[in-house]
Amino acid sequence: MKPLSALRGIAMAAILATVSLLSPPAAAQTAYEAKLPPEVNTAPALCDYVPCTDVLPGATSFSERKGQPPYVEGYAEENGQRKLIGYVVLSTDVTDTPAYSGKPVVTLIGLTPQGHFAGIKILKHSEPILLLGIPESALTKFNDQYLGQFVGANIEIGRSRPEEDMIGLDAISGATVTVIAQNQVMMMSGAAVGRQVGILEATVRPQANFADRGRKLDWATLVKEGAVQRLTVMPEQVGLPRSSEPFIDLWYGYLNHPEVGRAIMGETGWRDLMARIKEGEHALFVIRTGGNESFKGSGFVRGGIYDRVQLRQGQDVFTFRDLDYYNLYGVSAPGAPSFNESAIFIVRSPAFSGAFPWKFIFLGNRIDRETGARTFVNFDREYWLPSAYLEGGRPVVKKPDAPWVRVWKTRAVEIGLFAALLIAVAAVYANRDALTRRSTRKNKWPVNAFKYSAWIISIGFVGFGLLAQPSITQVLTWFHSLLFQWQWELFLTDPFIFLFWIFIILTVFVWGRGLFCGWLCPFGSLSELLYKVGRAIGLKRFQFALPMKWHNRLKWVKYAVFFGLLAVSMFSMGLAEKLAEVEPFKTTFLVGLFNRSWPYTLFAAGLLGLSIFMERPFCKYLCPLGAALAMPSTFRWFGLRRKQECDSCKACAVGCGSLAIDEKGRIDHRECMLCLDCMVLYTDEHACPPLAQERKRRTKAGLALTPIGKDGYYIPIKPVAPAAPRA
Amino acid sequence: MNEDAKMNQVDAMPDPSRRKFLNSAALAGLAGAGLSVGLSACNKESAPAPSAAPAAAPAAAPKAAASDLHLHMKPGELDTYYGVWSGGHSGECRILGLPSGREIKRIPTFNVDCMSGWGITNESKKIIGTRPDGRLKYMTGDTHHIHGSYTDGTFNGKYFWVNDKIHGRLGRIRGDIFECDAITELPNIQGFHGIFPDKRDPVDPAINYTTRVFCGNEFHIPQPNDGRDLDDPTKYFCLFTCVDAETMEVRWQAKIDGNMDLVATSYDGRFAASNQYNTEGGARYEDMMSAEMDACVFFDVARVEQAIKDGKFMTIGSSKVPVVDGTKAANTDPKTALTGYVPVPKNPHGVNASPDGKYFICSGKLSPTCTVIELAKVADWFDGKLDDIRKAVVAEVEVGLGPLHTTFDGRGNAFTTLFLDSQIVKWNVDKAIQFFGGDKNAQYVVDRIDVHYQPGHINASMGETKEADGQFLAVGCKFSKDRFLPVGPMHPENEQLIDIRGEKMVLLADHPVHPEPHDFIIVKRDIIKTKQVGTLDDHPLAVKDAKDSGVFRDGNKVTVKIASLAPAYTLREFELKVGDEVTLILTNLDKVEDLSHGFAIPKYDINFVVNPQETKSVTFKADKPGVFWAYCTHFCHALHLEMRSRMIVRP
Repeated sequence: MKPLSALRGIAMAAILATVSLLSPPAAAQTAYEAKLPPEVNTAPALCDYVPCTDVLPGATSFSERKGQPPYVEGYAEENGQRKLIGYVVLSTDVTDTPAYSGKPVVTLIGLTPQGHFAGIKILKHSEPILLLGIPESALTKFNDQYLGQFVGANIEIGRSRPEEDMIGLDAISGATVTVIAQNQVMMMSGAAVGRQVGILEATVRPQANFADRGRKLDWATLVKEGAVQRLTVMPEQVGLPRSSEPFIDLWYGYLNHPEVGRAIMGETGWRDLMARIKEGEHALFVIRTGGNESFKGSGFVRGGIYDRVQLRQGQDVFTFRDLDYYNLYGVSAPGAPSFNESAIFIVRSPAFSGAFPWKFIFLGNRIDRETGARTFVNFDREYWLPSAYLEGGRPVVKKPDAPWVRVWKTRAVEIGLFAALLIAVAAVYANRDALTRRSTRKNKWPVNAFKYSAWIISIGFVGFGLLAQPSITQVLTWFHSLLFQWQWELFLTDPFIFLFWIFIILTVFVWGRGLFCGWLCPFGSLSELLYKVGRAIGLKRFQFALPMKWHNRLKWVKYAVFFGLLAVSMFSMGLAEKLAEVEPFKTTFLVGLFNRSWPYTLFAAGLLGLSIFMERPFCKYLCPLGAALAMPSTFRWFGLRRKQECDSCKACAVGCGSLAIDEKGRIDHRECMLCLDCMVLYTDEHACPPLAQERKRRTKAGLALTPIGKDGYYIPIKPVAPAAPRA
Repeated sequence: MNEDAKMNQVDAMPDPSRRKFLNSAALAGLAGAGLSVGLSACNKESAPAPSAAPAAAPAAAPKAAASDLHLHMKPGELDTYYGVWSGGHSGECRILGLPSGREIKRIPTFNVDCMSGWGITNESKKIIGTRPDGRLKYMTGDTHHIHGSYTDGTFNGKYFWVNDKIHGRLGRIRGDIFECDAITELPNIQGFHGIFPDKRDPVDPAINYTTRVFCGNEFHIPQPNDGRDLDDPTKYFCLFTCVDAETMEVRWQAKIDGNMDLVATSYDGRFAASNQYNTEGGARYEDMMSAEMDACVFFDVARVEQAIKDGKFMTIGSSKVPVVDGTKAANTDPKTALTGYVPVPKNPHGVNASPDGKYFICSGKLSPTCTVIELAKVADWFDGKLDDIRKAVVAEVEVGLGPLHTTFDGRGNAFTTLFLDSQIVKWNVDKAIQFFGGDKNAQYVVDRIDVHYQPGHINASMGETKEADGQFLAVGCKFSKDRFLPVGPMHPENEQLIDIRGEKMVLLADHPVHPEPHDFIIVKRDIIKTKQVGTLDDHPLAVKDAKDSGVFRDGNKVTVKIASLAPAYTLREFELKVGDEVTLILTNLDKVEDLSHGFAIPKYDINFVVNPQETKSVTFKADKPGVFWAYCTHFCHALHLEMRSRMIVRP
């Protein structure tokens, strides 16, 4: 070995060692400038050269490259039959979108037959930033965010905006160009396959037919009519100290329209520009009138992509390369503001149409002032040429329903069933008198048949089926919404929880929390059902209740839990949500007992196990939601009935599973689950001591047993006054 | 002072004493108190006057008026005009940003440039021209005049043409890439001086753009110059040349009397004209200056081309180019004349077309006058409606000593450089015509300003188009003397910028320039439309795919195909054998704008630059065995230093 190459070898080894030390072991095998067999780009049998099974798990065979741009189909053997289980596409077959390095990140992408990302693997990248500084795993982690997402979804770097159906991805700090390019590659590749296999409909937007009235527009008119739009970002929106000076103040407009183009660029300038771009290409101008932040940035110098501005029209995102930029030398419209940065950007895609609305997007960085951490945040503003600028006016755009409307529409049947359940339970409870009168201490089936049905439906349909388990986190969210900003959309997006809460609020004030807690809460129902089943299968002798002394102390714990959570939520909603794991709901219904790590499973299983031996231990002592509902229950409209004798008799207290009847015979409606056992007794002439006494007295006296009145007594026998003679 | 009044002197003289001294000296040579028509002010006594002037001349620019013209570009701010500059005997052209004066690009043209590889690559050699052994035919050049192509009377930004005075070549620069794409050697001329593109076709009104470039020829030589008539200068003559703007082939030539310097063309396309000196046909300078009147020769382009169609031409030597006879003797009848000689005083220099399309203005050089020729009257003479072509001169007024070149503000004013006075004089053309017409109260001189020093060419923003906008002008001062930090005996030239928006001119800036720009034009920035990256298909030998690279051998003829893609060449090494005749083709496959790569081969005297999507090639003999690290010379990438390829030459 020659000295120089030896030295080089040692240096390389040292670099590699450092890199591997800094990176997690999994990333030791780096895709940086990985050598790919040359056949990767051309061979029909793509999957002979690249690990297709890594991105389409379960596939045992693959087709040859097909279609334009090419993709392959992946198959699995099922009962001897070859079954299509997805698609694999090589990103460079679709687009050469260069990343930071100016070279594409060669990515292998797997899709399910329904068009969801099934697997993503970086085969090769040339990103120097991922060789040093940022671990390659960051890119893998970034890509993992796509798993399960639909290729036709609106996905962009930045925050999710569910109200706009926008799925946000966390970017990689310091590698924006890479991830923006990667996002474009992912979505273009996915869409390219999606359109060919029929998962997506190809976007064809008819081109605009401009109305040219030959007007000479000044700036004020352009702005007033909406042909020039403004996008202002204030410092506080990017985590900087509040200021009256904007962080960046941009104006933009669509230059293909003759009146707009001429107003901005002058007659000859506009004609030159239109001659310079091809048919089907579109020009827009951007000027910066305020702020010091550049909208061009410097990413385009190295990677050739402007990483701070984008256009979006429907599903299509248009990113600008350096070759899509022309100088804007001035704005000729009279009254135009002076500006200190300007650009003409060209959209080179037939998918774009000036007739339809589009969004200009500024991609910013939000700085967390405490940690200095940067998150990526997008600011956009819609642009739609005014009707008068288009022959025949604006085309009709079928805007997608708001997400909550879509949810309500798609789940209409379940919503209907659920609403019916709520109404039925309320109706049943409203007619409780009829049921309790039909029941006796020995036979509570007229009540229980309904209650147990409600439980079972709650557990199976509401809990496990609809995942509609109300939670204390919703209460916390309300508190915050009430304090800060109330958004109906936020609550409407989950129709079951929404309806459930309407039901809860109404019934808490009419009858107390017991109707929800005792009849419909999925976890509560499960808990008590276990207790009842335990009793039925002979575990009764092991079942117990806490002594009243301890019960009366411990029942306050749930209030402490509730107020504790509320207090924490004022400081950190995130922490409060984590602490809200005191509710075993998520583990039980939303995620599943066996899908969580053992402490959660143990906690939920422990509570349910305890429920077999003790009636509703969680509801009685821990449930913060119960506590939250208990307090307004104090003000319920209709309570349960009591008789005079109740304050001394207390016979029903013995049977009260909720331990809600105190030594004075009063029912604590904050603890009462409205099981109606005491109400059954109330009219049970054999079980209710005062009533039994009266029954015996009347029987002895040979008096008739009149029906039991509303007050829980036999209707008194009074001599009937002789009918007055008719006048 | 009586003479002062005649000189139409204005008051705002920075140094009246010096001015008066010079004027007196100049006027001392006048042969009377009348008009100076036909008289020379530049006799032997007055010529050295400026250097003999008292040392009282202020070195600094007079603060006669302030200018708010936005001169200093803030970071990121772009200039509003392109300056397209010739480079003199540096052989190159240059692009400046104006009004800041920042040099943006040098365009190697007739020179050899190791930055870009101009004169090194096969592509550039082919344009420049080679000898049979493959060496460059010429390595020297002298660019003087650079002018742009026109559409409808204004620049269209498509081409710029520049002359090489030394070897008589016309170079063309593409306005979309600012690189030279064609060079044509004009046959049978020496001292190729003025050029000017036509502005529209003289016959076809539909052609409202440039299709011809006219070339003036300064040095008269024996025709053909093959050793004959060496000692008989009376048989020497000059040829006026018309080159096709698109094909760059010589269309025709015209034999004329006298020597030509600058060239102008009319906005209607009918005329091309060239100022002449040495109509005497002298071979020595005293003979060249003997006549009091020289001429501005007009060519009726349509007639010349009709004559050629009619077969009325000759050819000279081995040249196939048709040559018409444009001498005075052959064109005595105006109605059929191909040429008309408008008499102009004594060795005139510049001829410039006014933006209104009406006049050509000839600067007197050895006469302190400017001569205004009305084109309509020249046309009348050609059409037989004017008996004496001299009557086309509608003004001939004194402006100062050594008038060389004139530009315009589009508001009726002309700005003429006064070489000897080191001044620019602003004068009103209409007033000059009135004055010449007899209205002695017409004050045609509007303003004068000192420049530093000895100005040659002058051009105002858009000044040689009908869109002359009168914003500012640049003046090429041939001497800078004390205006910059001294750097030894050789001084730079001094390009000065002057605000001409107001009545008074205001000196704005001095800019040192590497010798020696002559002429230049100032083009509104939005006229220029440049390509951002090259087109792969433009080169037939482009290495379009990295996997096409390799070493391809055919005997000792070896082709090395390489592509570059930052930060690497596609060949990490390539092997040659001593004695191989190597052609190395490099395509830059990078697509990012501004990502150019260099390719240098040590000890083989090779370096060149390839822009994104472009292809360049070099041919050399592998005559030295060993390892030669070819490397990227043009900073391209964070791993630029690692971007190299090992050229192994086996013994």
